[in-house]
Formats: sequence, structure tokens, C-alpha cells
Amino acid sequence: MSSEKMKLTLRVWKQKDGASKGRFENYVLEDANPHMSFLEMLDHLNEKLMKEKKEPIEFDHDCREGICGSCNLMINGIAHGPQQKTAACQLHMRHFKDGDLITIEPWRATAFPIIKDLVVNRYALDRIMAAGGYVSVGTNSAPDANAIPIKKRDADLAMDFATCIGCGACVAACPNASASLFTGAKIAQFSLLPQGGPERKRRVVNMVDQMEKEGFGDCSNYAECEAVCPVGISIDAIARMRREYMGAMKG
Amino acid sequence: MPSLLHALQTTIGRKILTGITGIFLTLFLVVHLAGNFSLFSSNPEAFNAYTEFLHSLGTLLYLVEIILVIVFLLHAYIGISIWLRKRKARPENYSVYKTSGEPSRQTIASRTMAITGVVILVFTIVHLFTFKWGPGIAEGYVTYIDGQEVRDLKRLVNDIFQNEFYVIGYTAVMILIGFHLRHGIWSSMQSLGAMSPKLSPVIYTIGGLIALALAVGFLFVPIWIYITGGV
Amino acid sequence: MQNVKTNLKTSDKLDAKIPAGPIQEKWSNHKNTIRLVNPNNKRKHTVIVVGTGLAGASAAASLAELGYNVKAFCIQDSARRAHSIAAQGGINAAKNYPNDGDSVWRLFYDTVKGGDYRAREANVYRLAEVSNAIIDQCVAQGVPFAREYGGLLSNRSFGGAQLSRTFYARGQTGQQLLLGAYSALSKEVHSGKVEMFAREEMLDLVVIDGKAKGIITRNLVNGKINRHAADAVLLCTGGYGNVYYLSTNAKNSNATAAWRCYKRGAMFGNPSFTQIHPTCIPVSGEYQSKLTLMSESLRNDGRVWVPEKPGDKRAPNDIPENERDYFLERRYPSFGNLVPRDVASRNAKYVCDDGKGVGESGLAVYLDFRDAIKRDGENTIREKYGNLFDMYHKITDENPYKVPMRIFPAVHYTMGGLWVDYNLMSNVPGLFVLGEANFSDHGANRLGASALMQGLADGYFVIPYTLGDYIAGERPEPVSTDHEAFKAVEHENIERIDKLLKSNGTKTVLDYHRHLGKLMWDHVGMSRNKEGLEKAIKEIAALKEDFWENVYVPGEQSTYNKYLEYAFRVVDFMELGELMARDALVREESCGGHFREEYQTEEGEALRDDENFAHVTAWEFAGENKVPERHIENLEFENVKLTQRSYK
Repeated sequence: MSSEKMKLTLRVWKQKDGASKGRFENYVLEDANPHMSFLEMLDHLNEKLMKEKKEPIEFDHDCREGICGSCNLMINGIAHGPQQKTAACQLHMRHFKDGDLITIEPWRATAFPIIKDLVVNRYALDRIMAAGGYVSVGTNSAPDANAIPIKKRDADLAMDFATCIGCGACVAACPNASASLFTGAKIAQFSLLPQGGPERKRRVVNMVDQMEKEGFGDCSNYAECEAVCPVGISIDAIARMRREYMGAMKG
Repeated sequence: MPSLLHALQTTIGRKILTGITGIFLTLFLVVHLAGNFSLFSSNPEAFNAYTEFLHSLGTLLYLVEIILVIVFLLHAYIGISIWLRKRKARPENYSVYKTSGEPSRQTIASRTMAITGVVILVFTIVHLFTFKWGPGIAEGYVTYIDGQEVRDLKRLVNDIFQNEFYVIGYTAVMILIGFHLRHGIWSSMQSLGAMSPKLSPVIYTIGGLIALALAVGFLFVPIWIYITGGV
Repeated sequence: MQNVKTNLKTSDKLDAKIPAGPIQEKWSNHKNTIRLVNPNNKRKHTVIVVGTGLAGASAAASLAELGYNVKAFCIQDSARRAHSIAAQGGINAAKNYPNDGDSVWRLFYDTVKGGDYRAREANVYRLAEVSNAIIDQCVAQGVPFAREYGGLLSNRSFGGAQLSRTFYARGQTGQQLLLGAYSALSKEVHSGKVEMFAREEMLDLVVIDGKAKGIITRNLVNGKINRHAADAVLLCTGGYGNVYYLSTNAKNSNATAAWRCYKRGAMFGNPSFTQIHPTCIPVSGEYQSKLTLMSESLRNDGRVWVPEKPGDKRAPNDIPENERDYFLERRYPSFGNLVPRDVASRNAKYVCDDGKGVGESGLAVYLDFRDAIKRDGENTIREKYGNLFDMYHKITDENPYKVPMRIFPAVHYTMGGLWVDYNLMSNVPGLFVLGEANFSDHGANRLGASALMQGLADGYFVIPYTLGDYIAGERPEPVSTDHEAFKAVEHENIERIDKLLKSNGTKTVLDYHRHLGKLMWDHVGMSRNKEGLEKAIKEIAALKEDFWENVYVPGEQSTYNKYLEYAFRVVDFMELGELMARDALVREESCGGHFREEYQTEEGEALRDDENFAHVTAWEFAGENKVPERHIENLEFENVKLTQRSYK
């Protein structure tokens, strides 16, 4: 199996740090393999580069099982690459062909400044969460877990929204660089749960304000975010966020 | 809680305003098209009678026109500001960019909203100069309804659409309006939070059909007149 | 009740500080009698929390709520990415919602037994005791646990228990619990009580007058070395499974923070206790960077087998029934495919050692659903395991509905860690260790769904009390980061980084890590023996030496440089690997995940030696290239009777 060699040309964004100007650099990898994951292919290339005492390509990664949300590659113009509902770390090279040219770019958005090569900062997403993405319950002040029954349907739907891995692909793929799906998912989750009730107005207003302050674009309902989301979060989250907002406006 | 003024300026408020104004403008188009079709009425003076009726509303018409202008400009202003914000939110574009495909609604229609919008804005001005402020009674476009002298807008329409440049231009613009509405109708509902995952594909399809119907309806008039020589 | 006494005496340096009284009352008595810090005084104290997984995020949030100034550090770009996020199955609690007779006592008992009687009773009891409050806390935070149609919480059963006590959120329980803790942390970041340092890695501990007083960090974006002073340091940095190179841990999970504390005087408890999970997707090639776990629930319906003839290369479906060896069912007729993790893992290794392993590498066994599909239909199987089958399909490109899955054991969790007393404080005053990073409540083997429980118990419900006791007793005065000790430790680390960047060798850090991983897997893995362990100690020492001569680390210190971070960590992995082998060598018995071939029953099962080894081994650093000092903490079993496990 591992004898099936693939020759690839990789066109990769290189940028020394946030202040420097970036450019594309081409690398030829003679011996990629269809069973490698995309990131393993990059590991392999990096190892070759280091053996030649050349600078490796920096990219973000951690769990490599599609849950931590660290990986953030724009692969041939699509966030996380060609396979839907798959983070780049779970994308395998069998989805590419021998001889392919693959362009790899970092997420691009004002709110996601580049740190180096393909690595960006996503602190803006953390700040949106800090603005209201929580229930203000202190440790040890909770009632019994079964004190408030929640409809299974609501709990399941809340879970659908709660599975967001915070990778930022929605922002990266959005033609407007909007963070509406990310923000909407958290707001939608809490809007479905009784625990989210007391703070729902404050939450949506503050999170939306923060999203705006971070310099994300507006949502034009392209739904590209849903298409690239590695966990397939629906733009229903955005509709729900808007309803929550209108509810908050009513005072 | 935020003041209404603040709320309407946020990213969500802007989309809500775009949605509401968009729906308003779409409804206007429906009314406008219905008016156009009075050209084909068995009563040859139906169209002119209709325009005369509108003018007879006096202040009320002005009021409606002022509202229309405000709505139209607001819609255009927010649309352009969204486009400008996008340029600020991503100053450096991707060198390669593709859509991931379904369920994405990223289409030629959705990606060209700003362009089709600007075209529609320019067209509207031209359109107003051509017809609303175009030649009237003084220039000889006169007809009589119940013995009263009124502007013969119908003849003006027939005259204008003998010119192939107008016909081609109108046809092109109507197609672009169709594109604008193809994304716009569904999008306005989503912007107002009126969508659910089940409803969304239905409204998306219906929105497409309405867009098609409006575009075809509007471009029918010039083409028909050009081919048949007049109505 | 049997009272086991060992021949060894607890070291004077290891005072577990277990409160007096019956086990059921120890924790409440302790809480009633420990010292408190006045709310106005709390704001005068700064606490450093390193790591933002379940333990770290919950501790940071809870302490900030109490009024302490918290500085929280994580190496990822966001606190939410800590590897707790990847836990799948669930979290245990003694709620007894299903009314199947569960109790704090039973959860305590199962955990001690599951750990093969190598955990501290009092700690485990407290863990079971606070487990219910964890579920309450998480639900209140908006964690969307699975629910029944009646709107109440749903439970499922897990390995090592005869009860349904596991709460879950689909296959992403760890993610949901971590996001809950992260949301609590975010709330305190917003309130200003927590100062968050993302992409900031702890390089070392600063000890002044014998007490933990701060840390040295490296900003991973610009390479800046920073000093942070505090009145206490909480280490919540997870386990060290990545010593084995391939594991189910995240790529950046590392032991550096814990190892640095060890080298500054904190003792390392039971380093050889590692858990090897039987159902992982096997390695597919040299380039493989990590292993992916498949939930052990699959063993409920899948049958594990290998071809009877060694080297049989036929496709699995072409091998007739009578030429298959269902080795778990054969060896363990009563438990069959559902034997505990350690037993299942070890037996898979044995058949592969016999040349019966399958797949290209010969390092895999089949997990076959053919009979279950025949019996229940494909739809039923899809309903139960659909997402796991999809994940397998995505990674291997093989359809498990048609061909058997290939699985192989992989390193998953480390029960060992820094030694702590009942208050979760290490032997270095002011240094607390929480979650997987401490030597833990799990003894020699951890039960499924207990890691999440421990992380949150430590962070939400233990440390807020015990830290206060330390602060109130100590009344620490603020130290300046200009103190000589800070300068000295900082200097050492700058020198180390310089040395790494200057070593212009020919081998990559990966070469060394892979080599170390192979040594560890072969000799300190599922099955260990004296000869192999001695060999590992020798070879790791040689590898370490070779590293400093022949490694090549690219790039520079002043930018983001992942391979520099990596090199820094691999040095510590090598040193820790050596200690793990040493610990395995002196523990001349088999227990839980630690299997010494010399100590087994006639049937080849683990043979414990309670007489001589019912204790914690804690290692004290004695200086570079010196054999560390071994200390003992005897384990007193006053409530649980020690028995031999049997699954025949």
C-alpha cells in the first residue's frame, strides 16, 4: 500500500511574522502517499526540508482527530480542503491525485492576524466568548442536575450547535470574513436551554457587539460557512442569533 | 439593552434593515409589474388610466414616492457599506478561492449582489429619466380618457422599445435584477431570522421562482413590443 | 477487612496528610477544619494555573470566582483546545438516577478495584463523593448532556462497572465538559480576575526557600522568555503518553512542565503506570504521526480474531471460520471480547508476536462485525456505532460494514504523575498538581469515564478549599521577579534554547522521538521484563547523549518555531522515559497496566504482590545523570479487600 507514491507540487504561503510581507513558495514532494493524512504529508515535507537544513513550514495542529480546532488550512481555495465535514487533520491524501498542484494558504481575515506561514491568531473568537458565551453560574451553586427537565429535542438540537470546534473555518471561507456562524452557534445553544434564559438578552447583545469590534465582516447569507464547517453546523444558528437579537431589542 | 438606533447599526441590525427594505422593494416590483401588464389589457387605455390614477392620488403618491426613495437608498447604502466592510475584514484575498458546494448558497447570484445592486441603482435613475421625467404632454404624448387630456405614457413605452439599444439594455438589466432577487428574496427571510432548516430549502426555491417570474415578466414587455411593433 | 502491610516504610518526605476519621467523613471533616482566607485577603494573592484542560480551566475559574488573581497559561492559541476536548465516552457519577443501586461507596469501590489496588483510598473516596456535584455544575453551565424523552439525564454503562453511571454528550463528552469549564474561565477573563496567557509555554518552575514561587515561560509567538511570580503554582498539564511517540494524545501534549517540577524537587509517582487502550486504528506507515482511538463500546458487538496460521495473507473474508482464532473468546470464555483494557491489549500483542497479526505491518487484529450484522441487521449496528464506523472509514478508506476493522492497542493515558498529598500539593510547598498530571486516583489502571471526573473534581471541588488552607497557613509575601532565583532559572533556560539552536547536527527531532517511542513501546509497553527494561535504560541514556551531538533544530528563537518547542519537549521525554523504565524495573510485580512477564500466573495473567508492592513509588531527582532516589508511600487499605482479578 505504502508503495503507491504520489508526486505533488505544493504552493505554500510563507511569511516570517505578522509584520513581514508574505509570498508563495513552491515545494515538490516526490513521495507522498495516499494513506497519509494531509498534515502527515506536511510533516513529511518538513522532515525532508530539515534534512536539507531548510526552513520547515509552520502550521497549527494538535489533536489530529478533528476536535481541537487547531488546524486551519485553506487547501486549494477551500477551508479544510475538498472533503466536507472533515477538518484538515482528518483529510487524507487519497483525495488528491499524483501530479497535483496544491495551494495552501492561511485563514485570511483582519481579525485573524498571521503569526507565521500558515499559523494565525484566533484570540478574537475567545474574546467573543468572553463577552457572553457562558451561563454565570459560580462553582458549587448549581441545583440538582435533574431539577429542570429539558425536552430531548431541545437538548439534542443544543448539542448540534455546541459541537462547534472553534476552528474559524466559517470565517475563513466566508466571502465577507464574518464570524456569524461561530457566534450564532453558541447563542443558539444557550437559547435552547433553560439555563441560558436569564442572560439571553445580555448575551446576544454583548457577543454581537464584540464580533463587530473584532473587525469581522457582515453575514450575507452565503451559507459557505455551513458547507465548510467540519462538524456541519447549520446556518440555522445565524437565524436563531438574529431572532435572539430581535428579542433583545424588544427590551 | 441597546438603543434601537444602536441596534440597527450593528451587523444584525443592518441585515434586518436590508431584509425589510428588500422585501418592501420586491413587493414594489410586484405592483410595478402588475401595472406593466395593464399594457396588455383589452381596454387600450387601461395603462394610461392606471398611471393617471396614480397621479390623481396627489400628496399620497408623493408620500409613497418619498418612502420608496428612502427605502431604496437605505437598501443601497447598507449594501454598499457591507461590501466596504468586507474589504476591511479581508484586505488580502486568497490567491485560490472556491466554494465547497452544497449546502453553500454561494452562487454567481449571491457573489454579485453588490454589482447587480449598483447596476440596478444606475438603471433606476436612467429609467426614471426615460419615463417619469421623460417627454410628456408638452412633447405631444397626449391622449384622452373620458374626455380629459392625460399623458400618453403607453405611446412613449411603445416608442422607446422600438430602439434595440433600449431593448437590449433593459433585457440585460432585468436578468441582473433576476439574479439579485434570486439570492435576495431567500436572504431577506434568513436575515429576519425567519428560516428553519426545513423551511430554508423551500423558501430558497420559491425565492428563485419569484425572481425568475419577475425578471421574465419585466423583460417580456420590451421584447414583445420590439417584436410585435407595439401594444 | 484485610489490612495489608508492606515490608517497606513510608518515606519521611511523603506525608499524604490523610485526614483522620472514617473514610466517609474524612473530606467533610477536613473541609470543616482547614484554614480559610478572608475574602479581602484573597485579592492580595496571585495563583498561577498552567494548562487549561478540565482541571486547569475549572480550577482557574473557581479560584477567580473566590477572588484570587489568577494567571492562566496554555500552549494552544485558545484555552478551549486543551486535549481534554478529545475525550469521547463519558463521565462517571454516583447519581443513581437509573435506580440500579449505585452509591458513592460503589463508585469508590469500583475505582479502587479497577486500579488494581494501587490508589490511595481516601483520595478515591473523595473523588466519588464529589462526582455528583460535577454533573450538577456542568448541567447548570449549559452542557447539553444526552437526555431521555422525559427530559431527564440519560446514563449508559461502561467498562469495569455493573451499573449505568456514565453521563455523556454523544461521543464528545470531553469536548462539552471542557467547553463548559472554558466558558466559566471566559467569564472570569471577562471579569478581569483571570489574566489569560495563550501560546505561552511553561519552561520551568522557580523555587525560593523551598517553596514554589513562580514560573518561567516562553511566548511561543515571539520567543520572549518571561518571568511570572505567584503565591502558588497549579500544574494542570495532563499526562505524558507522548513519551511513546505514537499515542492518542494530541501532538503538542507534553511532559515538560511536570518534568521541570520534578527536576526542581517535586517527586514523580508511579511513572511506569500507563494505560494502553486496545481499540485504536492501527499504524499504517512510517509517516504516521498519531493514533486515533475507537470507543471501547465496539467490543460489545465486535468479535476479535486473527488467522490461525501465522503469516496468512488472505483477505479476511476469504478465511474460513475454522481457520480463525477468536483468541479472547478462547482464553476468557466468560468475559470473552469484554475483558478489561489491559488484558485485551496484552493478548493482541501476544498473537501479533506469534506472527498472526494482520494488515500490512502485521501489527493489528480484526474486530469483526459480520456476525452482529447477520444477527441484528446492518441498520441496528449503524444506529449504535454509525459515527465510529464513519470515522474508521474516513481514516482507513475501508468499509467496516463489509470488511472487519483492524485494531491495535495504543498508549492512551498515564496514571502516574507528580506525587501529591491529600490536598493535591506536591512535596514542594506551593506547587499543586491536578488532573492527569498528578499520580492520581487511578492506581495502576484507570476505568473508562473516570479521567473527566477526576479533572473536574480536582479543579472545581478540591483545590478551592485546599489552596486556601495553604495560603492561610503560609501567608505568603509577594516575591519580585527580579529575585536572583528567577534570573538564574531564566538563564538556564535561555542557555538550553541556545544550545538546541546551535546544535547543527544531521538528525531531526522526529528521528529521536520516534526512536525513543520504539524503545518505550518495545520494552516499557504492554509487557515488560527485567532484561528489556535494563536495555531501555541503557539505550535511552545513549540516545540522550546522541541527541545533544547530532540533532538539528531549525529556525530561530525570536519567531514562532514549532520544531524548537518540540526539541525542548523531546529532551524531557527522553529523561522521563528513562525514569519510567526504572520505575517499571523496581516494581517486581504485575498490576493493572504494568505487566512484568516474570510475575504472572500459570495462565499468563497479572500477578500482584500486595505484600511488597502495595505502595506508591515516588522518585526524587538526585542530579543530572545520577540515579534518582526512590521513596515509598505505603497504601493502607482499610475499607477495600484486596482480591485477584479473574476474567476466565
